[in-house]
Amino acid sequence: MRRVDACGNENGGVDAPCPALLEFENVSFTYPDGQPGLDKCSLTIREGSRNALIGANGAGKTTLFLHANGLFRPQAGMVRYAAHPIDYSRAGLRRLRGEVGLVFQNPDQQLFSANVREDVSFGPLNLGLDQKTVRERVDAALDAVRMSGFADRLAHTLSFGQKKRVCIAGVLAMRPRLLILDEPMAGLDHAMRKELLSVFDSLYGQGITLLLATHDIDFAFRWADRIHLMAAGRCVAAFDAENLADNAEALEEAALPLPDIIGLRRHLVGTRALDDSRAPRSVPELLDLLMQRSI
Amino acid sequence: MLIDLCAYSNRWRAADPAAKGLFALSGLVSAFAAGNPLAAAGIGAIVSGMTVWGAGIPFSRFFRAALAPLCFFLLGALSLACSVDYRTGDFIWLPGGWTPVGRLAARSCGALASLLFFALTTPMTDQIALFRRLRLPETLIEIMVLCYRMLFVFSEALRDIHTAQDSRLGYASPSLALRSTGNLAAVLVVQVWQRARALHLGALSRNGDGVLRFLGPVFANARRDMVFAFAGSALLFALLAVMP
Repeated sequence: MRRVDACGNENGGVDAPCPALLEFENVSFTYPDGQPGLDKCSLTIREGSRNALIGANGAGKTTLFLHANGLFRPQAGMVRYAAHPIDYSRAGLRRLRGEVGLVFQNPDQQLFSANVREDVSFGPLNLGLDQKTVRERVDAALDAVRMSGFADRLAHTLSFGQKKRVCIAGVLAMRPRLLILDEPMAGLDHAMRKELLSVFDSLYGQGITLLLATHDIDFAFRWADRIHLMAAGRCVAAFDAENLADNAEALEEAALPLPDIIGLRRHLVGTRALDDSRAPRSVPELLDLLMQRSI
Repeated sequence: MLIDLCAYSNRWRAADPAAKGLFALSGLVSAFAAGNPLAAAGIGAIVSGMTVWGAGIPFSRFFRAALAPLCFFLLGALSLACSVDYRTGDFIWLPGGWTPVGRLAARSCGALASLLFFALTTPMTDQIALFRRLRLPETLIEIMVLCYRMLFVFSEALRDIHTAQDSRLGYASPSLALRSTGNLAAVLVVQVWQRARALHLGALSRNGDGVLRFLGPVFANARRDMVFAFAGSALLFALLAVMP
């Protein structure tokens, strides 16, 4: 039987780790006003994975993203994309930005055109695609973020969450391999978060590698395959989300608590209400386990 | 925003902006060329009728949009009709009587009606797309695109800052209001600078190279709309011919 791994490659049944798509190697960057950005930061994002970058405000998450898209150039260290050092020539950056999509935190800082369809077409037109292809891509991108019905609306008449989705569509229309989102959940209510999350799941299902910044450790634990911690410009730790409970010290260094679900599980295991072999990552998973046990 | 509201909610919203632009341009040219004030007034009436009954713009909105320029015309016409001799304090009336004033007012109203027809029936994004089709200078179009988008972003920011100031008694007295207004202006200037920088980064991240490229809208009935626009334009010029 044909088997396709998380990287989207046929691996003939061999479970090999996906190749690194984006690598930071001891990257340092200081802003012109002396403000620290990154301090010898090393980080690896594997193809086909979901990654959460967690850190307090000012930890350097946005600076790291700006490096990933080639908007900033490291003052020391190296950034590699698909195993090659980033080529900062005009053509090199054009290729990189076609593959690494960046969605900014504030949608009003990303939307140029007042019209939704026009704005989404900006990126693919910059790739030099013909109008017919751009129209198809714009429709597909708006469909992917469930905003097809808003294509001819004005940006300023949309809600905050809808604007965020338009921003994501604007990047998706460029068909990136790696989608980077800077705090996509910030400012969204519960329903909007849920909707956006299902969009991410769908993108992940299409093989797009996802890297997003968040402050929400519970969400990161529930959603991500891999968690990266940042503090004061340093990439302090990176581990598989399922091993998060073993990294309490690293979390503490980044001033983050353990997810509530881990504390709850420990309590239930302590009271023998749950056996130690399973590690649920969300409340519904935990409830499932408890239900199975009671049956 | 009144004009935006009309432009997005009228019956001819989806009509080809080139057709609407052609009809408005015909109205403007014919009103300007009309020697007879009645012909100019007739052109104004036809174009206004098209705007109100054709496109379905409520008359109250049309009138509100026209009010400010009409006041400007009234002042202009009055200053043309009479002037004051500062030495004697006497009013000096135009020697030719009211005919030139009437002609000017009628032409101005006809031209105003034509411009309002285009502005109230055509959303700004369609207008910009039309200007791009007409090969207007790219820099001018980019300024229009950014100004139109930023108008809403900054009006929102301005409202938020004003509300925050007001909630802390920033406008409780004339002197406080003056100070708060100054602060508001200062904060907005910084925000404009920050937004400009953020937009620049946003453009670069999507492979922007200095030119703002967007997909133009498609109008399904463009040919039919142009036929109507030519017919309407012919009607306006026919009026000129029968009322020289």
